[in-house]
Amino acid sequence: MSANSEEARKLAAMGQWATRVLLAIGAVLVVLEFIVHRHGEIALEDLPLFPAVYAFFVCIFIVVGGIWLRKIAMRPEDYYDDE
Amino acid sequence: MMSDLLTSLPPGALMMLAAVPLVLVPHHARQVVMLLAIAGSAFSLTAGAGQHLNIEMLGFEMSLYRADHLSLPFAIVFHIAAALNVFYGWHERKATDHVAGLSYAGAAIAALHAGDLVTLFIWWEATAVTSVFLILASGTQRARRAAMRYLIVQVASGVLLLAGAAMLYSESGSLAFAGMTLGSTGTWMIFIAFGIKAAFPLLNGWLQDAYPEATVVGTVVLSSFTTKLAIYALARGFAGTDLLILIGCLMTAFPVFFAVIENDMRRVLAYSLNNQLGFMVVAIGIGTELAINGAVAHAFAHIIYKGLLFMSMGAVLYRVGTVKASELGGLYKSMPWTMVFCIVGAMSISAFPLFSGFAAKSLIMSALGYKGLVAAYLVLLAASAGVLHHSGIKIPYFAFFGHDGGHKVKEAPFGMLVAMGAASALCIGIGSLPGLFYQILPYSIDYNPYDASHVLGQMELLIFSILAFTFLMRFGFYPPELKSTVLNTDWLYRRVAVAAGRPVLWAVMAVWTSFVCALGGYRDAIWSSVERLAHAPITGPTVPGRAVMVQTLVLVVILAIGYLLAG
Repeated sequence: MSANSEEARKLAAMGQWATRVLLAIGAVLVVLEFIVHRHGEIALEDLPLFPAVYAFFVCIFIVVGGIWLRKIAMRPEDYYDDE
Repeated sequence: MMSDLLTSLPPGALMMLAAVPLVLVPHHARQVVMLLAIAGSAFSLTAGAGQHLNIEMLGFEMSLYRADHLSLPFAIVFHIAAALNVFYGWHERKATDHVAGLSYAGAAIAALHAGDLVTLFIWWEATAVTSVFLILASGTQRARRAAMRYLIVQVASGVLLLAGAAMLYSESGSLAFAGMTLGSTGTWMIFIAFGIKAAFPLLNGWLQDAYPEATVVGTVVLSSFTTKLAIYALARGFAGTDLLILIGCLMTAFPVFFAVIENDMRRVLAYSLNNQLGFMVVAIGIGTELAINGAVAHAFAHIIYKGLLFMSMGAVLYRVGTVKASELGGLYKSMPWTMVFCIVGAMSISAFPLFSGFAAKSLIMSALGYKGLVAAYLVLLAASAGVLHHSGIKIPYFAFFGHDGGHKVKEAPFGMLVAMGAASALCIGIGSLPGLFYQILPYSIDYNPYDASHVLGQMELLIFSILAFTFLMRFGFYPPELKSTVLNTDWLYRRVAVAAGRPVLWAVMAVWTSFVCALGGYRDAIWSSVERLAHAPITGPTVPGRAVMVQTLVLVVILAIGYLLAG
């Protein structure tokens, strides 16, 4: 049991570390956005931070959509077992 | 002499021939024979572009080996995948996976070189018949049922293709497999035949149903060929068909939601495969040179990184015995190499700069941008974030990190590691040297995906997608992995059709039975009247009734003949 909780702590620590690294990279990207002249394939993409904001909200939308999809399409694991 | 013989054979033919006696060859020698057959088949490609083998059959000119700038990149990557799959399956002692895998790859490669629709049909069906054994080999009742459903759908696609070809022949007098315009019934049938194998929306159920039920090696092999053969067929037959842009957009969008909530990791990858096909279908729909290059490049890169992801989950299944996300986690310690390779596959499919997906997908996105298709562009951009979400993060996170699943297992077998290592090297190679990669594409282009603006935009998209995932995880909004079945379009024929079909079947059987009963009634009536006649007083009490009947009949016949002769 103690080995398991130690493992869990380790995983949590790795998660924290990864989150910090990601936030740091994110911050660098935001800074770069105002240094590099970024232009997209379509006009909308030229808005400041468009890819970042769009991706962030799309991902949340996907998860919300997934939760909603679960309500209508999720069945027990043995749903088809009577075939 | 030998080389002349090889270059006159259609590529893939040698692999199918070699697959037949493979069962008799001992294990390690068998792997070597397979690699030699693949090398021999690849050597056939050196014949170059042109029509190399035409035969007369039943009055038709069949073109068995046609090579050009479109078939070549597919042929190259099919051979690479076939070879990687041999290494991946090296540990497997049973011959089923090997025989089925080699003949299936051979059939798919031969199909790429079919110059007419009948030849295409033959190999199209051959891929179905050979590949079904990869699912059957799982040996479970569940797999057997999935295999039969898979086979029915695949064969139906072939039958549609043949019927469409026949109609096209009666319209145009040609069976050549070339560009078509949607319009006549024949072209629609061929379009739907391709659409089934390309897993169009509503026609996609077989993919997520069957692939995850195949063997460890089988799923990897299956992921390489059938759907990409369909992409090739669409690129040749229906490039520039506007409808494909809409179909492709739906294909990129819908599977994403299913992938988020699916618990079986190989099924998550099957949804993700469907989403990736959507990108290629959109590109084919655009139809410009840049877009077709994008579709082909994406198919090429995708076969390798998708194969790699399936390989990593296959390795997990092989060692742990399950790929249910709810039961996995913390495998980074036991299977570190598999984890590294899985992450390379995940970064490639997510299109991180320096990885293969970036070099390929950029072409499609640019082609969309140049065409000014803003809505489609935004859908594909959203789908790119979605890909990262379910293939890029979910797969490695829940398998190798997440919560500790308590599995203490060995690293994947050596052959698997070799295959995954080679696939990883290809992913990074393609992504880092796109100029070299673009040279094998159908059209020569001057395109550089690595300008600062493009790289920055892509990094923003990716990093903020991951941040959204971390945000949802940390605040507990992310839906937990649950043991479940998620209904997909196969539900339509596994449940709806059955429920709707039962009363129809009942009605048909009722009509049929009453028809048979009525017939029986007539038969009895005829017999009983014959009986009555035979025993009627007219024949007299002493003469056996039936003899008189026969005599009367003979007399009637003789009279009739006499009458005819006299007349």
